[in-house]
Amino acid sequence: MGQSKLYLEDHFPSPVKHTWIEFRRNHVSIIGLWIFLFFVAVIVFAPGIAPFSPTEQNTDVILLQPAWDNSGTIVHLFGTDSLGRDVLSRVIHGSRVTFGISILIVLIAMLVGFSLGAFAGMGHGLRASVLNHLLDAIMVIPTLIIAIIIVAIFGTGLTSCMWAITLSMIPKFIHLTRDLVRNACHMEYVTAARLDGASNTRILFDSILPNMIEPLVVNGTFALSVAILELSALGFLNLGAQAPTAELGAMLSDGLEVAYIAPWNIALPGAAILLMLIAVNLVGDGLRTALRNRLQQ
Amino acid sequence: MKYNLFAACLVLLGIGACTDQHTTRQQLDGFIYCSEGSPGSFNPQMDTSGTTADATAHQIYDRLIEFDPHTNKLEPALAESWAISSDGLTYTFQLRKKVSFHQTSYFTPSRYFNADDVIFSIDRWRLDDHPYHRVSGGVYPYFVSLGLTSIVASVERINGYRIEIKLTRPDSSFLANLATDFAVILSAEYAQQLLDDGHPEQIDQLPIGTGPFVFESYRKGRYIRYHKNENYWHHEVSINQLIFDITPASSTRLAKLLTGECDAIAFPAYPDLNIIKSRANLQVDEKPGLNVGFWAFNTQVEPFNNPLVRKALAMAIDKDTLINTVYSDSAVRARSLLPPTSWAYQASAKDSSYNPVLARELLDEAGIPEGFTFDIWALPIERAYNPNARKMAELIKGYLKQVGVNVNVVSYEWSTFRQRLREGKHDTVLIGWNADNADPDNFYRPLLSCAAIASGTNRSNWCNEEYDSLIDQALLYSEPEVRSLFYQMANTILSDEMPLVPIAHAYRYQAYQNRLKNFDINPFGGIKLGDVEKVR
Amino acid sequence: MIAYLLRRLNLFVVTIFVVTLATFALNYLFPGDTLENLSGISSHQTAEYNQIVQYHGFDHNIVYQYGMYLQHLWKGDWGISSSSGNDIVEEIKLVLPATLELSVYAMVLSLFIGIPFGFWAGLRHRRPIDLGILSASVLGYSIPVFWLALLLILFFALQLGWLPMSGRISLLYDIPHYSGFILIDILKSDIPNKQDALSNAIRHMILPTLSIALVTATIVIRITRRSVADVMQSDYIRAALARGLTRPQVFWRHGLRNTLLPILPQLVLQFTTLLTNAMIVEVIFSWPGIGNWLMQAVYVQDFPAIRGGVLAVSIVVIIFTLLMDIVLRVINPLKNRDIHGTI
Repeated sequence: MGQSKLYLEDHFPSPVKHTWIEFRRNHVSIIGLWIFLFFVAVIVFAPGIAPFSPTEQNTDVILLQPAWDNSGTIVHLFGTDSLGRDVLSRVIHGSRVTFGISILIVLIAMLVGFSLGAFAGMGHGLRASVLNHLLDAIMVIPTLIIAIIIVAIFGTGLTSCMWAITLSMIPKFIHLTRDLVRNACHMEYVTAARLDGASNTRILFDSILPNMIEPLVVNGTFALSVAILELSALGFLNLGAQAPTAELGAMLSDGLEVAYIAPWNIALPGAAILLMLIAVNLVGDGLRTALRNRLQQ
Repeated sequence: MKYNLFAACLVLLGIGACTDQHTTRQQLDGFIYCSEGSPGSFNPQMDTSGTTADATAHQIYDRLIEFDPHTNKLEPALAESWAISSDGLTYTFQLRKKVSFHQTSYFTPSRYFNADDVIFSIDRWRLDDHPYHRVSGGVYPYFVSLGLTSIVASVERINGYRIEIKLTRPDSSFLANLATDFAVILSAEYAQQLLDDGHPEQIDQLPIGTGPFVFESYRKGRYIRYHKNENYWHHEVSINQLIFDITPASSTRLAKLLTGECDAIAFPAYPDLNIIKSRANLQVDEKPGLNVGFWAFNTQVEPFNNPLVRKALAMAIDKDTLINTVYSDSAVRARSLLPPTSWAYQASAKDSSYNPVLARELLDEAGIPEGFTFDIWALPIERAYNPNARKMAELIKGYLKQVGVNVNVVSYEWSTFRQRLREGKHDTVLIGWNADNADPDNFYRPLLSCAAIASGTNRSNWCNEEYDSLIDQALLYSEPEVRSLFYQMANTILSDEMPLVPIAHAYRYQAYQNRLKNFDINPFGGIKLGDVEKVR
Repeated sequence: MIAYLLRRLNLFVVTIFVVTLATFALNYLFPGDTLENLSGISSHQTAEYNQIVQYHGFDHNIVYQYGMYLQHLWKGDWGISSSSGNDIVEEIKLVLPATLELSVYAMVLSLFIGIPFGFWAGLRHRRPIDLGILSASVLGYSIPVFWLALLLILFFALQLGWLPMSGRISLLYDIPHYSGFILIDILKSDIPNKQDALSNAIRHMILPTLSIALVTATIVIRITRRSVADVMQSDYIRAALARGLTRPQVFWRHGLRNTLLPILPQLVLQFTTLLTNAMIVEVIFSWPGIGNWLMQAVYVQDFPAIRGGVLAVSIVVIIFTLLMDIVLRVINPLKNRDIHGTI
């Protein structure tokens, strides 16, 4: 703020900027954001960063220890697995798969959830009520159960699990959108718009949506953390990604075979999931606190 | 708030409970064997899988004669003595007296074991019109694959404790076959009782035998519970309870051995052996095994019906690396079907060599384009002959990529896997064979003879009349030198035709708590736990 | 209240109806023969096959089939497992209590850890101790439960050798099945060395319970902390403080009830997550619960068992939600909205 001002003037940042200012005040959240961005970079540049192909088997170096161990080498920084594959490359590609697909899941769920939720929120009567009841029914069923059903029908695989998680996540977004829309409908600025003769669609996109973006983003981050957790859990249970696809949960389950002699095979993928979740949760927490602080002021 | 109190008690109890672990375990004189899978049946006649044999053959049942695991010689069991006529066609067995069958909640024997039980047990798999032949599926893979159903002409009762078996032709491996895991003796009285009650299939689910342990309960995928047979004819059984804790993951078995939850484990993974050896309270035994692990091509499916393709694929893989990686050098490279410990082993047998360039040329010659894709079925559980088929499949996939062939690795749960394999739905499969007796015929016949296609042990579905006649002729002679010649000729056919790629003969390992005594490796088939003692 | 109960009951019936309809549809959606998926019997004999067709109403239209399905469900005939051949209801009776037992202990333990820490952090809002607890809870909240379970096994079972790592009790103890809750069953049974069996069972329980409870506890901490912090900043608390009451006095007299009320519905929502975690952890600890059982069924493609397990878990969750909803309503009649929310 070294700028000198000619006139004494109150500065009113836009709501989004205001939230960002609040967010920036929390250093822990900023660290989280950096890790988050790091993972985003990993998604984009994975093939470039990874020193080896995630499926390349080098049978000369099986179960090589990580570089920080006495017998490790710098060539394989994180060591190798029981097939001689480079663990670092697998963790990078695994993070790409796990993180990337989780983001995709959340985006799809958000889009579908928003559309249906807006419909339910703006509409009244029987249709909305039936929808609500159905949602309540789906919402209480654990994702694992939905995943089991989908896997049983379509077979194991990343795609099956992706749809399962998306499906179980949609009702939450519908609920959220519906509540937000309902609350917004009672607001004066909506009434004003309505009195001006704006159509429902117009009200939704011009008046309500701008106010919903922030809560949606906050919930999106939490949904992202849930998606990562569930995707890797399903991979771990062998319902998701199948060998030799590098996916962090599936890698953990592969590593189990050699858990005792090569613990880095479960420690490193697990740590990657942990780090990813911490980053997402810190950003989510930070955003929520920032939003709360802004609204309280 | 009731719950809270309860939980508080729990936490306290938990802390208190940490100290008395060792006293608890010793009070119960039980033996927990952590096995790798669920048995397919409780009657080894119905199933050649090693898992079934391990769980049942020597625990519940006895045979007429047995192999001594140390000397490999035949010794008397339920038959006290036997005699063979000079033409090799008539076998007479004198049976042991005062041997009683198990008494359980579902069966109380009224008489001792006698000739009727032997006749029932053999006739069940031998005669198509026997009332029990069709019970529980009516498949007797071991006997059918060895052609025993046609070799045995009659089983006659001479008196209550003497029987006579007549053969249609001399068979130098017949006695050895009677001593295998599968030639168990069932109770004819129990069978009759079940037939009268209208539940004949129960004979294979609630078993009755004369062996050292009595069946108590079974939950698929969880456990099998046995208790000791107080009246075992052979010796006093020192273990009160025998429990098979079914633990499919080898890492879990290792962990449970380390924590003391298992007294002994099936198939320790090779990389783990050093850990087990480094523990003072654990023991590892090893013995060269009578087994072969191989990669079989389904020769009834395009393009694997073409020997050229099979040979090319055999050439595309580096067997030495597979052995290094998958068996951690605890195996010897297989040249043909027989392991080096067999007397008919041929050190000069022709072996395929790693040559990806030639392999690609052969594939081109056979009209296999780049990018051709097929399935490798990898057996889902550990076996001595292949401790990690999935890993091997991944390695093979890597090799075949270099010659422009793509591979899907396929795996199902073990019983499903075997079911689909028998239906011939595979392209190729990584599997193997554990010998049931020391006779070379036990490799050549069940693995590749035409008759073995129907019984489901010929994984290549390969049928060659010349090969069949060679192994038939080998049985007509009892001199090892003569028989070896026939097997060498059979080896030549195999290396030309390559219905399967023999990969390795693995050592057998056993890992256990060293307070167990008399826990020996049985080189032929299933484990024997009757003699085991647990030192306090 | 009666109107409310009726409405709830109505919703319950509708939900159960939807769930049965969905599981009935699964028979058609699963690969393979519909009738085989329904009955678990693969029969090639004409006479037996016809009998099954008739029994399940497959000689009529689909509505009739569904009617038969409902009728069989109600009678407790859920078909037989195609892999083990056992009756599915019997199998579920064995495995479901094991899961519920694990979940209940984990829930109780997580409340025991979570609520005190949550209060502590909430009352010291934005002080170092609050930040410490909050950071720990973010860490705990971010640990994948299956990884935590593995680490616990590696450390406590394999490294230290203190605790066993698989099953509910050493298989050497043959505990007859009575309620399915192992501790109750041991106490009910007449085996010798009951004391040993009990301590053995508890030792088996510690690690799985702990792995689930730790993850849930961090969520409980966050919920509690938030609620306490909100209440302590509210006007009536500030007013009470301004009148000179000490903080403990204010908290016990005015804060406690008002903080607990909004927590409860959110805790109830955690039950689903907890149940999912329990089912995952079961697989790692070979705990003979419904999660483990369902996973086995998936691996062997045992469709009747999958359908049965899915139905059983759904019904448990729906009934639990319904009961909790009613309980919450009784505790706090002011709250008239359905429960749903975020963590």
